[in-house]
Amino acid sequence: MARTRYVRKLKELRQNVVDMGAATLQSVDYVIASLETSDSALAERAIANDDVIDNFDRKIESQCMSLLALEQPMAKDLRLIATSLKMITDLERIGDFVVDIAEEVITMAKPIRIPVSATKFIELVADVRSMVADSIETYAEGNIQKARSFEGRDDRIDSLYKNIVESSVNSLAQGACSTETASDVVSLLYIIRYLERIADHAVNIGNRVCYMEEGDRRYLK
Amino acid sequence: MNNATENSVEISVKNLNLWFGKFQALKDVNIDIQKNQVTALIGPSGCGKSTFIKTLDRMNDLVDNVKISGEVMYQGRNILDSNTDVVELRKQIGMVFQKPNPFPKSIFDNVAYGPRVHGVRKKQNLNEVVERSLKAAALWEEVKDRLNESALRLSGGQQQRLCIARLLAVEPDVLLMDEPASALDPIATSKIEDLIYELKNDYTIIIVTHNMQQAARVASNTAFFYLGELIEYAPTIDLFERPQDKRTEDYVTGKFG
Repeated sequence: MARTRYVRKLKELRQNVVDMGAATLQSVDYVIASLETSDSALAERAIANDDVIDNFDRKIESQCMSLLALEQPMAKDLRLIATSLKMITDLERIGDFVVDIAEEVITMAKPIRIPVSATKFIELVADVRSMVADSIETYAEGNIQKARSFEGRDDRIDSLYKNIVESSVNSLAQGACSTETASDVVSLLYIIRYLERIADHAVNIGNRVCYMEEGDRRYLK
Repeated sequence: MNNATENSVEISVKNLNLWFGKFQALKDVNIDIQKNQVTALIGPSGCGKSTFIKTLDRMNDLVDNVKISGEVMYQGRNILDSNTDVVELRKQIGMVFQKPNPFPKSIFDNVAYGPRVHGVRKKQNLNEVVERSLKAAALWEEVKDRLNESALRLSGGQQQRLCIARLLAVEPDVLLMDEPASALDPIATSKIEDLIYELKNDYTIIIVTHNMQQAARVASNTAFFYLGELIEYAPTIDLFERPQDKRTEDYVTGKFG
């Protein structure tokens, strides 16, 4: 095998992106746990963890630029670098949405109650979490079959999101909420919006993995 | 595999096989070279790309024990036929080599050499051809005040552009370039690459290069040769971004062997 140093650098890049993905998933888990347990300390951890994600973002971008400038990557190597460069932006944005959710959690009254559509909310949270985990796994393993399932899974998330929005609006419109509950409903609306956007970034990652593996630019919509 | 961009075909090669004695240097090569496009030939040393390009203007005829079969169709005839006028063919399909090879004559006489061989005698006509050719080779501004100086006093990059001007003077259709910039520094190389890009408007260009970035920069289509076989032929962007054959993938990513 030729270009040993170059091959090692590509491996390091891939590992760093996977590690960044793990850090992002850790943040998602912290914020979900903070919702489940009403523990603001976990939300604070999710916020603090964003620095870890941002550091990965800068480090990986620099790695990609150096590989592009010095190694003239081609074919699958080029696609790996292009995918990594774009994917870290998706992960970084997921991290930012986690911070947004954590900030809502901190301001919500404790213990946290989900005032409307609690079952659907729990489903939505679980689906988004598994999408993020799977998106990182598809990149690590080049699993395009799983990546292709993301569009369908995202449709389900969109539908849950719309359903919860409708219930929340109805609840507010009926005027049955106390001021405190109404405030929780508004926080819930923010949180599900952020969750829905997180899932969109996971879909982006899945599409980029399809491009990385197969070279078909149709996935880069 | 042949996915190159479709345009009108200048040279169509069918089932080309070539042996040097018992060694088969080209194996059943099939390729359509597009008119007014730059086609790059890449591959490891000894893969047959230079042998292939030399076949297109019958330069392999000079090698002992060479045997060629197949067709190289150009302007409706097979140039491998024994009755091909090779002098006329090399006027239409000219070659630039790796090392610039100007004649030990003046700049003017280098460019005027071809037209004189082909019967142009009048000074006025020769002046026009020399100026036009040097301008087309992006050399005129640098040499117009010293046309009578020896060509050997030019820099390597200028000598290479002079050799291109010498080709253009006989008004060819096709320019074959065998690693035309490999002996040049980066600035001279970029001038040659800019020139190639300009020339494709009027000429069909086939360039052999070891420099894949050069192929990526100048060529519309790229062909990858390996062990005498044409492995893959595709639009350059596809060949470098998403090659279809594993051997191409391994070569362009530098993991060959």
